[in-house]
Amino acid sequence: MAKGDALVTLSQVSYRYPGADEDALESIDVEFRAGEVTLLTGALDAGCSTLLLVAAGLVPRVMGGRLTGSATILGGDVKEEKLGARLAGRVGLLLPTPWTQLSGMAFNVRDEIAFGPSNLGWNKSDIDDGVNRAMEKLGVEHLADRDPTQLSGGELQKVMMASIVVMEPDVLLLDEPAVELDPPSAQTLYDMLPDLARDAVVVVASTDVDRVYRVADRIVVMDSGKIVANGPREEILRKPELASNTTTVGMAFYRAGVEPFPISVEEAVERFGS
Amino acid sequence: MLAFKDVVFSYDDSGNVLDGLCLDVSPGEIVALVGANGAGKTTITRLATALEHPFSGTVVVGERSTDGLSPEDLSRSVAYLFQHVDQQLFSSSVRDEVGFAPRNAGCSPAEVLERTEQALERVGLSGASSTHPFDLSLANRKLVGLASALAQKPRLLILDEPTQGMDRKHMALVSRIVEEEAARGCTVLVVTHDLGFVAEAVHRVVLVEKGRVVEDLPAAKVVTDPVINQRLGLNMPAVPSLSVALRLPGTPVKFAEVVRALSTVAAGRTRQ
Repeated sequence: MAKGDALVTLSQVSYRYPGADEDALESIDVEFRAGEVTLLTGALDAGCSTLLLVAAGLVPRVMGGRLTGSATILGGDVKEEKLGARLAGRVGLLLPTPWTQLSGMAFNVRDEIAFGPSNLGWNKSDIDDGVNRAMEKLGVEHLADRDPTQLSGGELQKVMMASIVVMEPDVLLLDEPAVELDPPSAQTLYDMLPDLARDAVVVVASTDVDRVYRVADRIVVMDSGKIVANGPREEILRKPELASNTTTVGMAFYRAGVEPFPISVEEAVERFGS
Repeated sequence: MLAFKDVVFSYDDSGNVLDGLCLDVSPGEIVALVGANGAGKTTITRLATALEHPFSGTVVVGERSTDGLSPEDLSRSVAYLFQHVDQQLFSSSVRDEVGFAPRNAGCSPAEVLERTEQALERVGLSGASSTHPFDLSLANRKLVGLASALAQKPRLLILDEPTQGMDRKHMALVSRIVEEEAARGCTVLVVTHDLGFVAEAVHRVVLVEKGRVVEDLPAAKVVTDPVINQRLGLNMPAVPSLSVALRLPGTPVKFAEVVRALSTVAAGRTRQ
């Protein structure tokens, strides 16, 4: 994949979960491009997680419900029956509840991470090399022989991230990827995103704007199932009308009536330090 | 309200998880337990709810030692919000879930209804009372768990990572609820990595290492001291960082206080 290629394109996408009486997504137009880290943010229940499910090709194929508009993922139509075969190993989705993603087929962490590549038919030495690299990247080598069902939430979130990263997907969709992690591990995870996005799409759905914004190229803001803003990071974070989605520092200055407002402590010191 | 005296405990023979732990928490206090994974924080909460009992030493909840007590004996005075709330949800509607504890405690149907409605209103989920808990988002499921705890009207409220995965607005809501509970005399013990929440709502921070209390400090000190932050393996949260970096008068650590200070300071210090 070349930098700049739109790997996921949604056009006028609306989606309603089975049994729901209103749309979870409404008229979504968005493109996710290779080489970019996108922060997808908004209030809880704004639709960020649902948008990731669409981008992963799971809606409506796996989830059911009603999707209108058009969505193309790696050249495949989201309504295509056999889309799963096309996307396997090329699209990775990390859920905020990593224990729901365990294969259930592995007795140790090494085998859990090897589960994807094995099913894709990789040869043994590629699997071993890939698994070792992924474990090192996520700092989980010391867990290699542990039973995945016995790990803490934080350990498991890193292991599931490794089990996705090992396949070097072209589209990486991360839903609150650091929710279980302690602050230093969260920082380490966010810091690796620009590298993972070199030739791939990386979309992070998170309310943790304070920490994710520094690695994001683009920010998409959602509210009540709609995209209300989409642009380069700085532009979005500095808009007064989007202040409820800016950094905590930006929000504090906005509330104090300061415009334009600084968005980081460093910038605040530069402008207002005594 | 809650007292651990020289408590020793282990799950098996692989070493003591709590190793002579001492901790005193008064009614109306909000205390955060911090420390690395495996330090013994969750174990402390398990002993405070009589799910486990000390090998030696004593755990006192209210006026009673937990010796010989079961969690059921404490269920009218102690409420617990699990870190992974899905492990505690089992009803098919939010209303039933939140009403479970008061119903179990023998409250009249009218009282159950009143407590349920009140608790749901406080967490902002009045509109979701007939929804299945698992049809809600993770953060809202956590708020259902919190509402269930509030409906118990506990004297000791134990919260394991209550703000995990929440946005600023919901973190502020949880902070406000915790402060309200403390104001009515409830003791609050919270396990958390979220120093932003600590700055907003917590009075005291207790650092646990290898089953012992190694630091016991006022929250305002912990969130504004970079050296302590580093030792605790935590990042200084944005609001106190701003307060320290701009030398705001009185070093406020709560969002609303910082906003107030900024409006005057920014006006006076603007550089052209």
